[in-house]
Amino acid sequence: MLDAMKKAASPADGMGGASRFALHVGGVPGVAWLLLGLGLVFALAAPGFLSGANLHNVALQATVLLLLALPMTLVILTEGLDLSMGALLSLCTVVLAVVQIGTGSVVLGVASTLAVGLVFGLVNGGLVAGFGLPPFVITLGTLGAAQGLALMVGEGRTTMGVDAGIRWFWEGAPLGIATPLWMAAGVWAALHTLLHHTRFGARIFALGGNREALRFAGIPVERSLVLVYAIAGLCVGLASLLLAGRVNGGHPTAAIGMEFDAIAAVAVGGTAFERGKGSLGGTVLGVLAVGVMRNGLNLLSMPSSVQVAAVGVVVIAALWVDALRTRGLA
Amino acid sequence: MNTAVPSRPAAPWLLLSPEQQAVLLRLLVLGLICVALSFASPVFLHGGNLLNVLRQASLMFLLASGLTLVILCGGLDLSIGANVALSACLAATTMKASGSVALGCLAGAGCGLLVGGVNGLLVTALRIPPFIATYGMLWILHGLTYWYMNGDTVHGFPPAFRALGSGYWMGVPVPVYLMAGVLLAGTFFTQYTTWGQEVYATGSNTEAAALSGVPVQARRVAVYAASGLMAGLAGLVYLARLNSAEGDMGEALTLQAIAAVLIGGTSLFGGTGTLLGTLVGALVLTLVLNGMNLLGVSANAQPLITGVIVILSVMSDALARRRRGG
Amino acid sequence: MHLIPPTPALHAGGGCPASPGARQQALPPPLALRGITKRFPGVLALDGVSLALHAGEVHMLMGENGAGKSTLMKVLCGAYRADAGEILSDGVAVPVRHGADARALGVAVIFQEYSLVPHLSIAQNIYLGREPRHRFGLVDHARMHADARAVMARLGLQLDSHRPVHGLGVAQQQMVEIAKALSQHARVLVLDEPTAALSDRETEKLFEVIAGLKAEGVAMAYISHRMEEVFRLGDRVTVLRDGRHVATLAAGDATPDELVTLMVGRKVDMSYQRGARPVPGACLLDVRGMSAANGVQDVTLQVHAGEIVGLSGLVGSGRTEVVRAIFGADRVTAGEVRMQGSLLGASPTQARRHGLGLIPESRKQQGLALLRTVGDNLLLAGLGRLFPSWIYRPGRGHATARQLIARLRIATPGPRTAAQNLSGGNQQKIVIGKWLVAETRLFIFDEPTRGIDVGAKEEIFQLIDQLVHQGCAVLMISSELGEVVRVCDRAYVMKDRRLAGMLSQDQLSEANLLRLAMHHA
Repeated sequence: MLDAMKKAASPADGMGGASRFALHVGGVPGVAWLLLGLGLVFALAAPGFLSGANLHNVALQATVLLLLALPMTLVILTEGLDLSMGALLSLCTVVLAVVQIGTGSVVLGVASTLAVGLVFGLVNGGLVAGFGLPPFVITLGTLGAAQGLALMVGEGRTTMGVDAGIRWFWEGAPLGIATPLWMAAGVWAALHTLLHHTRFGARIFALGGNREALRFAGIPVERSLVLVYAIAGLCVGLASLLLAGRVNGGHPTAAIGMEFDAIAAVAVGGTAFERGKGSLGGTVLGVLAVGVMRNGLNLLSMPSSVQVAAVGVVVIAALWVDALRTRGLA
Repeated sequence: MNTAVPSRPAAPWLLLSPEQQAVLLRLLVLGLICVALSFASPVFLHGGNLLNVLRQASLMFLLASGLTLVILCGGLDLSIGANVALSACLAATTMKASGSVALGCLAGAGCGLLVGGVNGLLVTALRIPPFIATYGMLWILHGLTYWYMNGDTVHGFPPAFRALGSGYWMGVPVPVYLMAGVLLAGTFFTQYTTWGQEVYATGSNTEAAALSGVPVQARRVAVYAASGLMAGLAGLVYLARLNSAEGDMGEALTLQAIAAVLIGGTSLFGGTGTLLGTLVGALVLTLVLNGMNLLGVSANAQPLITGVIVILSVMSDALARRRRGG
Repeated sequence: MHLIPPTPALHAGGGCPASPGARQQALPPPLALRGITKRFPGVLALDGVSLALHAGEVHMLMGENGAGKSTLMKVLCGAYRADAGEILSDGVAVPVRHGADARALGVAVIFQEYSLVPHLSIAQNIYLGREPRHRFGLVDHARMHADARAVMARLGLQLDSHRPVHGLGVAQQQMVEIAKALSQHARVLVLDEPTAALSDRETEKLFEVIAGLKAEGVAMAYISHRMEEVFRLGDRVTVLRDGRHVATLAAGDATPDELVTLMVGRKVDMSYQRGARPVPGACLLDVRGMSAANGVQDVTLQVHAGEIVGLSGLVGSGRTEVVRAIFGADRVTAGEVRMQGSLLGASPTQARRHGLGLIPESRKQQGLALLRTVGDNLLLAGLGRLFPSWIYRPGRGHATARQLIARLRIATPGPRTAAQNLSGGNQQKIVIGKWLVAETRLFIFDEPTRGIDVGAKEEIFQLIDQLVHQGCAVLMISSELGEVVRVCDRAYVMKDRRLAGMLSQDQLSEANLLRLAMHHA
């Protein structure tokens, strides 16, 4: 009805242009300003921040988070959430290490970790799509399940000593560029193509923006939703290759809380939790912003706890700004 | 068009309200678990073990009671575990610094209440979806606690305070009395005040409640504040039991509290559930975890079991709603 | 204008006669509905309706609110499934179970329902699900945007096809919806009040497009309330009433008054007639120049004690928005709302305190907590008055609930039954009863008898009558014109979010209500 149309075209949204970012100031997305601001602050306050080695390090560390945050963007675009990513990542590193060391085969290790990630993704998607249950509760449950499995499979401790083949994922440098950067770029390219150059990509926006439109067009909504979560799980499996390579093994609590950084990066990057608004580019900038913040605070000898709290404050601030903007001040 | 009033006497089971039926069902499950465990492990029925279970369940209930209120009102609070930690640490350091137990308790409870209030404002005034607002708060509190404690541990508190968590009175662990008190007070507020009726109505259908003149925003802030307060109190009891405070206290508590609430029959969609149900849920969960311990299952499996229980509870809730046509 | 072979002016069975003898054309119509019946819980929406859409013809569909026009079109395009009857494509019966089936038959729809994805571009929205692709399966953006621009050019829509839809105004979004339907190159096009949101310029453009489609041989079904459109575009007009086919005539054979008469005339079967009406007392509700954030502009009305005042108008004219603003559920941006002298508009809580009560349009979503008991629902608005000390005593609560159940004759085993188990009529009584406990003086009803059977309707009207005899007042929104005429003392009519006028007791008639509601001033 007329009223539904009016409701959907919220008046304060009329910022015009092909803006895909939450906040545009002077034609540049807000998160870019945030990144710039953070960079400036730490360049001045933290010794050694601007060194080439440090910046390279920031980029490198950010790749793991990027492999989580990019698929998280897709999930959030469908008005969903995946809280199980951190625990799943830990589980995958443990599985990778245990299988690889146990069988001596790198290929088997890689295959098994990707399989575990995929299976968890399918379970998440199946429960969300099949039962219509709130995604955050479902993934909270699978978080617990994954965490428990990680502790059990790894018997509570780190499984060390993976093959050089796995370590290559972190330490290798084909053509002089670190493997993690290749992987991050590759996943970004793949997901970008998926989102903006395939029919499925438009569906992802519609899943969050107007699910009824999809049903009316005869497109199977449930199947598409499952696929989105499955992709997320697969990417977590890929991320475990990097992480295991970095810590030379699998640790059951290696990635606890990383999903929060991923969600923060996505939120700060301008993707909204409702109505299917967002972009992958924004997430990349968001990941960098989170990475810079953590790195800078690290250099200032702030403990990890403060870093996390700071990220939390930034997320809530970003959501507040978004709320003020989209709902107007009515 | 008149629906016929049933002329034959209804079966006793049907005389109970759906909520009373749900509690009874869960008490049955509780009894079955007890019976099973008593066969499975010789240690289970020992007095010491049972009292320990009671103590543990009481603590879980204190935390889950506030969460129950929030969920009844149609919201969610994921920050309670971190709130417990922060409140406990604040209470501990205040006690040490000022030498006064009372001041420390005030600090702890006050901290919990304040955090709850902030959650309430984020959800009502800033209109941030509850799950993301409290999830963000979770990490903020976590970080604050770690930073505040700076890696230190504070321990060694006066016996009078420690009795709160590990003491006995007339042969029963002290936390059980707290649990009973909270149960009575909470049940009074939810079932015997107009405030409680409005909370149930808000959780059941927020729009209809608002259009009936219920001040829904005020009720929502109040339940989040109550949840925070209960987290603060739970923090005090936890502190008293552990006799020490450190940054990473209580990490598993949030998921356990959610599980207890869900097992107890409170619907995640709001509007149905009782504190008594949450108590039974806490007992069931504690017994299951206790039983796993006694049977030698690795402690690492606890989050797995809790997670699976959460999923199963939500699924059964969704199916029950579908059947009822809700 | 006779663009089709002459047919008799009025048909009893409706549509194009299928009997071989009368068939003038060799080809069967591209799409026809025959004997369609559709039931919803408690109401028969369509009763054996037939309709034929011919190539190159615009078939207008008219009727008042609830006559069944939209329902019929939804059956046609697969959104609903008929309980009886068949759909014939080129004379052959085909199953239409969902939207995809209808699309396969070449049917495109422009509904008023919002089917755009806010953060996709115009072009993406137009081609959602059918995006043109390269050889490798990737979306061919260049072609998609080129095609989109072509369709938009036809409509005179001068927008960048890359623009996300959420930034567009309502009229522009409607044009995108139209573009979406056009791009499907359908042979049958269904339009449901497409010009409701459009400006004159856009409307002209649409009419040009429709003329073009006619020349191409597209069959069109067009729902409209605007007489000018009916006579300008329509080749034939079908009038529905109460879910039944009333008449199909060539547009040239009809006059506006005739159409109005066909739309409203009904056999008098209602037993309820109002008895003596109380003399209006003091002014209870005084609204002056009220505008609200939900779009209504400059509304002025009064309701006195003892009166039943109607609020009429077409769907979408802003009636619900007016009462929501009065009740404080939506923000008032200008003007004043006063109840017995006190200024209102801040919140429903304040409205309740001053003696206002709202029985909303959708009782299940806005009026009741379905999973709670009858008693809990009855007491909700009156908790403060029943228990001023804030202590809730279940015994007293249940006793009060039982009294209400008896007084309102709510059919329920007791106050402890879940509200969702009751019939629609009884559920409505609960919503009304809720406000009795709160000592309400002015009852605002939004479609009080929607989805309720005849017997319960009568009870509700008797209840309303009792209320005003006790000194209360009633403001009543109703889409059933007959209801408004029989029950109300006078009525305001809304049009396009403004007051079109007021009809006093002697002016009150169905025809007058409809004329005011449709008058294109």
